[in-house]
Amino acid sequence: MKIKIKMIGPLMYEAGFSEKEIEIPAATTADALIDLIKISRQRPKIVTRNGKAVAPGEPLEEGDKIAISPIYSGG
Amino acid sequence: MYGWTGHILRVNLSAKSHKKESFNEDFAKKWVGGRGFAVKILYDELKPGVDPLGPDNKFIVALGPIAGIPAPNTGKAVVAAKSPLTGFYGDGNLGTRVSEQLRKAGYDVLIVEGKADRPTMLYIEDDKVEFLPADEVWGQGTYATNDWIYGRYGKGVGVLNIGQGGENLNRYAVVRSLEGRAGGRPGMGAVMGSKLLKAIVVKGTKPIPQADPQAMKALGTGDLKKVQQIDKQTGWSIQSTTGVLSFCNEVAGLPVRNFRKTHHPDAWKIDGERLNAARIATYGCPNCTMRCGITIHDKEGHESELDYENIGLLGANLEIFDLPQVGSLNYLCDEYGLDTMSAGCVLSFYADAIDHGATSGDFKFGDAERAKELLRLAAHREGKLGNLLAEGSLRMAREFGRGSEAYAMQVKGLEVAAYNCKFIPGQALAFGVAAIGAHHREAWIITFEIKNTTRESYGPEKAAKVIELQRIRGGMFEFMVACRFPWIELGWPLENYPKYFNTATGLNWGLEDMWTTADRIYAMIKLHFLREFPDVTRKADFPPAVWFDPLNADTEGPIAGQVLDAEKYDGLLQHYYDQRGYDRRGIPTKETLKKLDLLREAAEAEKYAHLT
Repeated sequence: MKIKIKMIGPLMYEAGFSEKEIEIPAATTADALIDLIKISRQRPKIVTRNGKAVAPGEPLEEGDKIAISPIYSGG
Repeated sequence: MYGWTGHILRVNLSAKSHKKESFNEDFAKKWVGGRGFAVKILYDELKPGVDPLGPDNKFIVALGPIAGIPAPNTGKAVVAAKSPLTGFYGDGNLGTRVSEQLRKAGYDVLIVEGKADRPTMLYIEDDKVEFLPADEVWGQGTYATNDWIYGRYGKGVGVLNIGQGGENLNRYAVVRSLEGRAGGRPGMGAVMGSKLLKAIVVKGTKPIPQADPQAMKALGTGDLKKVQQIDKQTGWSIQSTTGVLSFCNEVAGLPVRNFRKTHHPDAWKIDGERLNAARIATYGCPNCTMRCGITIHDKEGHESELDYENIGLLGANLEIFDLPQVGSLNYLCDEYGLDTMSAGCVLSFYADAIDHGATSGDFKFGDAERAKELLRLAAHREGKLGNLLAEGSLRMAREFGRGSEAYAMQVKGLEVAAYNCKFIPGQALAFGVAAIGAHHREAWIITFEIKNTTRESYGPEKAAKVIELQRIRGGMFEFMVACRFPWIELGWPLENYPKYFNTATGLNWGLEDMWTTADRIYAMIKLHFLREFPDVTRKADFPPAVWFDPLNADTEGPIAGQVLDAEKYDGLLQHYYDQRGYDRRGIPTKETLKKLDLLREAAEAEKYAHLT
């Protein structure tokens, strides 16, 4: 299935891209996606789908717009 | 007593006199420094009703026991006075060499009283105080003023100065220092201007007293290197604060079109990635190894140092998605010495008021060239329009009428920072109960709300989180005085800060002691507010009404159809009051004041208002 990913802040340099559409296996979870794009699981982050937080074990769906962001603290 | 110099320098501009005063260890331990010293001194020395722009107001520079000592990130000073924007205690912090130089000169606090008879530069070198003419730079911007000062004294001195905004008593004029540093959002620059005080220059030559200077040096400099390493590992300062713009855009928390919209398809044009690509230099504060000031060339070719608040409020909120143009607006605010956040909200409110028929005018969202002209008018109070724009959005709304106060984006008169809380209840509370008005520096809980709770919740866990962060951010970092960034942005352990404090002072404080001090300071700011506004109600802690208006709901995106619920917000506010020990007006109860050792201050407040 196809999803869109947006990497936010310094995570884009770790992942090597800022925004792209990728093909992933059906029912890939948020955590598995982190491994797929080679971001450290240990690094604090928030994954959102269509603007809402996604739990680590939650499966993603076709057409999702995923954003992966560091934990910002509002300056 | 170690850690503190134990001295206050009191300067009177009217009499051209100065006095070195001492404070004892009890005062030091009760109020610690920075915001703590400032709020206590202003409470004791200002009568309620004092004109914030009159000679009886006092301008304070306050430092703390680790300010200026090499350690993460101590190159900051608190500036404070009664605010001409909000009408009660106001303050801010900014990066400046004054933190080190004033302490080396032998003082933890500078109090400036009275009014000079001509534009003046105050020069302090240890025990020497000079009142020097500043006519040559009166009317000049902050960059030229800074250069003029550096030309006379070199770059090592500590400098605080104002631009045309402060000179002309713009109510959101700030104090400026170094290349791009600014602080004192609620008009602290106007207070300097009202005293004809163009600049303060400080040079000190004495050691800062510390309980164990060798241990402090090893600990502080070692930790500065460690913070630098973490920053390099995480890559935080590649985009520094500006990365959050994309996050806000994703989760519908970006201010767009005077906060009417929460996201925009063109936001990427001014985001952290674009800003980093346009970077020509990076600036930071003294004693900092994670410099956050990303500098670009603006449309006219000036160097303009930007952070998130600048691109959020002078960019997205004005629907200006052209980075060099946003840079120009930011440069002008810095040059004139205006708060970029309030300036962005004032301009967006003006455009919105025209859109909604509350006033007439020719300014439209997206018009960068007209925005530049309006900033010039506001900084100089030029003409009727310039005078109006210099007043801030709340006073403008009262002038316009026609229901426009609902979308004047401010709390207690201070404009909202660049987070759109149309449907982020906990952060709306954080703005509502921020000590000095809608500032972001005290509590920021958006990621917590979205990741760790449900966004829809108005539960006590959000009030608890706001209080936890107020104690840390609005409390400890503001009285120590140090920058919060190593902790909030890089996860530098909070426990390190009592360690710095104890090594400097020889005391043995833990975080709990810090929280008690923080609570005391928050209660004092509330007493300040009560004394000025004895008829206060809980409505003062509500965010702008437009966030509760269903007609203002997003029509698409993550929060389509949703806005804040006023009744539920009131319940969330009550959770906050209950946990704080405040009454239904949001004022600390007598019992709370007693616990915080504020009985004398409570008795003073009761001369003007009742306590419960």
